[in-house]
Amino acid sequence: MTRSLRWLGSRRLVLLAIALAGAWAAIYLQLAPADALPGEGGLRLLGKLIAAAFTPAVTYEAPDVPDGAAPFLVTVAKAMWTTLVFAAAAASLSTVLGLFLGFFASTAWWADDPIGGSSAVRRVLRSTVAPIIYSVTRLLIALMRSVHELMWAVLFLAAIGLTPLAAVIAIAIPYTGTLAKVFSEVIDEVPRDAALALRGSGASPVQVYLFALLPRAAPDVIAYALYRFECALRSSAIVGFFGITTLGYYIKQSFENAQYHEVWTYLYGLLILVVVLDAWSGAIRRRLVR
Amino acid sequence: MIQPLNHHPAFELRDVAVRYPRAAALDGVSVTINPGERVGFVGPSGAGKTTLLRILNGTVRATAGSVRADGDLIHTLSPAQLRALRGRIGFVHQDLSLVPNLRVIQNVLTGRLGSRSLLGSVKSMLFTSRGEAIDIHAILDRVGIAEKLYERTDRLSGGQQQRVAIARALYQRPVALLADEPVSSVDPARAKDTVALLTDIAQSERLTLCMSLHNLELARAHFPRLIGLRRGRIVFDRPTGDIKDDEFKELYRLDKSELLADAPVNGNGNGHGHGHSADADAPVIAPMVARVIAPIAAPLDAGGPA
Repeated sequence: MTRSLRWLGSRRLVLLAIALAGAWAAIYLQLAPADALPGEGGLRLLGKLIAAAFTPAVTYEAPDVPDGAAPFLVTVAKAMWTTLVFAAAAASLSTVLGLFLGFFASTAWWADDPIGGSSAVRRVLRSTVAPIIYSVTRLLIALMRSVHELMWAVLFLAAIGLTPLAAVIAIAIPYTGTLAKVFSEVIDEVPRDAALALRGSGASPVQVYLFALLPRAAPDVIAYALYRFECALRSSAIVGFFGITTLGYYIKQSFENAQYHEVWTYLYGLLILVVVLDAWSGAIRRRLVR
Repeated sequence: MIQPLNHHPAFELRDVAVRYPRAAALDGVSVTINPGERVGFVGPSGAGKTTLLRILNGTVRATAGSVRADGDLIHTLSPAQLRALRGRIGFVHQDLSLVPNLRVIQNVLTGRLGSRSLLGSVKSMLFTSRGEAIDIHAILDRVGIAEKLYERTDRLSGGQQQRVAIARALYQRPVALLADEPVSSVDPARAKDTVALLTDIAQSERLTLCMSLHNLELARAHFPRLIGLRRGRIVFDRPTGDIKDDEFKELYRLDKSELLADAPVNGNGNGHGHGHSADADAPVIAPMVARVIAPIAAPLDAGGPA
């Protein structure tokens, strides 16, 4: 009896609970293994798609290309460039806003400060207003990142039409929320020793934030910002589904016209962008931790 | 003897106490330190040496008594005045408290943030002027690491980083220098050099120097005046030559009743660890963590197949 109870240690209980929850979800969603097998038409499409992966298009697949159209590979290059530019715009906007909101979403600028002067007003501000600003900021960034960039894109499409600026903002809103959250947590985890030392030599809280906490968090902050840039490439490609001429726009178009070789060329274009960006950000990260 | 530069004592404490909810870090401390004096603080760990040093630059507030620095009552100062006062007092921390991934010159530059505007400090950190670089080079030369000016701080040895921390305090152009166990993390040979360096600088620049030291030998060799602290109270405060060996022994005597009384609470027998906040945290927090972790960890240990 006691032995069997001991066998049910907390770790095993947790694993058992997870397994039961998974089984219940599968039953609730009526998941059937057979659904994973494509039908006959699906199989044919799958075969075509896989075959096309080995022979990506280098010219237009459609026989009737309009006279003035740019060569296919130029169109691909342009789409890659547009994707990169939208990603860069959204990532840099959200990095700047993320750093700004990340400041207010961290406890570093108001908590455990060594005693200030005798001013009672300041002490009241620190004990009431500062925590309110902190909480409101954290709520705001939670709202920003709880809605996916595609949802924001749909909202903007309905409200003002999907202009390039709207696409950038649609990506930047959830990205800002995520970056602000991660930045604030990275900064809050930085050791406070140097910060307290600088406060002790007369530095102001903002100076301490800029010159003690931020530099120390910088390698992690930069590495995460670069990672989000990589994510922004994918998001930028995807908002093309709504008519911005990034890779997604062409992928959707070619797919709907059953030009699968073209689809793969655009996908490889996206892959090249991600791989190149990853190599570049990896080089920067290595320099930071060197 | 060095003549005081003005008629105010550098620091003047009257019946100062620092009481935390569970214990007192300082109790009934009255000390007067004149400009240019070099004073060593000795005593067992948790005696209140760090708290006393932090009282002096206004980073710990006395719960009773009065503290004057340069003639001003610290608790009446406005935030701006307190910042200015702190800017005039250099503090070398036990754990150095440098930013490891900044260059040496940038770490030293942060010493003068207190006397700079936000914009001015951003400008000097990003675009350090030639004049500032020359100033800092001279200070680094004084502490013996001039060639490390543009090195990343975390690539320096422990002893060299200590010199950076000293240079940062000197760059404040302080009138007083406080040092909290500055040599506890370096080897004995370096410790002697560092204490000698600090006392030399204090003497030649006519700085008031207050330093807490574990190493009694160093304290007796380099400081004309020693203050002995035990359990938050001053045991002696006299010229070093007048203090008898027995008094030092008495200062560091292990108090059995103290150990027994505190052992069950702290769980590790480090009974007199109620001193400054950094020391006091360890024995209080450790059992708390243990209490929280134990119930979680225990089933894991027991969970393995027998």
